[in-house]
Amino acid sequence: MADTPQLRLERGEDGPVLYLGGDWRLPFLLDIRTALAFLPSLEADAGLVVDGSGLADLDSAAARVLMSGLLDHGLAWEQVRVAGFSTQRQALLALVAECLAAEAQEGGGTQSWLGRLGGSAVVVLNGARSWLAFLGQTGEALGRVAFRPWAWRPRELFGQLENVGLEALAIVGLMTFLVGGVFAHLLGIQIEKYGANIFIVDGVALAMARELAPLLTAILVAGRSGAAFTAQIGAMKVTEEIDAISTLGLSPYQVLVLPRLIAIVIAMPLLTFFGDLLGLLGAAVIAAQQLDITFYTFFTRLREVLPLDSVLYGLYKAPAFAAAIALIACRNGMAVSRDARSVGDFTTTTVVQSLVAVILINAAFALGSADYGL
Amino acid sequence: MSGNVPPAHEVPALAVRGLRTRLGGRWLHDGVDFTLRRGEVAALIGGSGTGKTVLLRECIGLHQPTEGQVQVLGEDLWQLRGPALNLLRQRFGVLFQEGALFSSLTVAQNVEAPLTEHTSLPRFLRDEVARLRIRMAGLPADAGDKRPAELSGGMKKRAALARALALEPELLFLDEPTSGLDPISARAFDRLLRTLCDSLGMTALLTTHDLDTLWGLVDRVIVLHGGRVIADGPVAEVARVDHEWIRAYFSSHSGARNHGGATHDGT
Repeated sequence: MADTPQLRLERGEDGPVLYLGGDWRLPFLLDIRTALAFLPSLEADAGLVVDGSGLADLDSAAARVLMSGLLDHGLAWEQVRVAGFSTQRQALLALVAECLAAEAQEGGGTQSWLGRLGGSAVVVLNGARSWLAFLGQTGEALGRVAFRPWAWRPRELFGQLENVGLEALAIVGLMTFLVGGVFAHLLGIQIEKYGANIFIVDGVALAMARELAPLLTAILVAGRSGAAFTAQIGAMKVTEEIDAISTLGLSPYQVLVLPRLIAIVIAMPLLTFFGDLLGLLGAAVIAAQQLDITFYTFFTRLREVLPLDSVLYGLYKAPAFAAAIALIACRNGMAVSRDARSVGDFTTTTVVQSLVAVILINAAFALGSADYGL
Repeated sequence: MSGNVPPAHEVPALAVRGLRTRLGGRWLHDGVDFTLRRGEVAALIGGSGTGKTVLLRECIGLHQPTEGQVQVLGEDLWQLRGPALNLLRQRFGVLFQEGALFSSLTVAQNVEAPLTEHTSLPRFLRDEVARLRIRMAGLPADAGDKRPAELSGGMKKRAALARALALEPELLFLDEPTSGLDPISARAFDRLLRTLCDSLGMTALLTTHDLDTLWGLVDRVIVLHGGRVIADGPVAEVARVDHEWIRAYFSSHSGARNHGGATHDGT
């Protein structure tokens, strides 16, 4: 039933005539476009008559391609006379011509590379500005409530503490226990060769307290709570709840950001210490199995070789990790725009950025304390 | 415009026959019949909860009626399966009440989505068609690069209309096209719809609560009440029907007004 579109140019008595035939519809646009491109050159001043009496069908997309095709030959639609179109098709042509004219008036919107470069620079600068604004707002909110603990919104704070701290205990414990065990196992294999079995305590204790427990905990919290913060705040942004909070005369930074920030800064050192304990326990279990070091020997040796400083060093890092994670997560939540995909995008960004931040902060700590006496 | 349409086009655009719908333990529709000719613009009115939107969803294949037949462009919608149904779906467009634009795509990408899925047009032609649709829907060209979230309510409706028009449908369904618009934008939208239907030869079925849309835009009003069609005809005729609900409906606009010469004194 579908009839491919046809196009025929003839010399009439008063100038050239373009006869259209067949189905001029959307599926055949490419044929139409090609046929038009291969028309012999037209002289604009000779005028052109477009005859539509042979058309089976005509839709607006095809009309538009006809007009832009003729325009490529230097013929504006206004210069073209039409013949043999039904009243309804004339109305269609008029509508399309009107749209095309309005478009031409507005001009093209293509940008040069310089424009795009500038645009990208502006996006980056705006990102930096919004970061500064976020830090400023959070700092201001913190300053406002710092000396008034009753304004810390205890209900929200304790809710977050439960989410971030209590509910993460099991997974942090499991992870550090297993990693402690595996670390002890590998170290044990090496150490056995030298018959220096007891030194496993020194190695495991130092690694666990200084690096492994704080890092593992931070990674878990970033993936678990950081992503949750962004998704929660982002979803609230999408449903305009953040706007509602501002309208009620509350600060979203006080209500949403501060409780999360404070909760995570409190919870992280506690989780890290819990991780220290479970990691050492895992190592002790493996040491007992593999190297015949009893629990009693292990923990007695531990008291001798693990200085308090090393434990504290690990615990000092935790709040820094925590603050970075909370700030990144909340900032990304606030930056969500009002559509569904950006919540997902920003949640991914949060996890990536906070992991990178944790690694960088850890490196900075290591450099800053390079001269620790072992 | 009926004088020169080919015979194949004399099949009614939409025919609903003996439609019954059971929903929530009662008969929402109890024998609904009506037919739309090609090129007609018809409005479906009725109180809240009379099943206008459900009827519309039954016509576009989203909600299966309990009994009865829906013929869209000559084909029995609920007998079609798979590819045949999808082919038919390309021949009508739907404008949802809230626009239902894909929020993660720009307006231009929204309009291009049906073109990308259902045609094999190269990119530059798709772009060209998308620009035409955006313009036809009365949006400025730079609206194409915006996300739906950046548009006002009226522009969202227009963008959704541009997407509904993408494949040049023969039939357009609109669910409350002017709800949520201010009266000026609503009238502009009505005019736009009328121009498009007239020049593209489109048939349209819309549900509405907007009396001005009825008087200004549509050829025909179909009144749904108590699960049946209680009146069907030009606005001026329907407004004179002596029925309690219709009288109440047409007199609900306070203030004396004269709609294009037709008087409706609902006192």
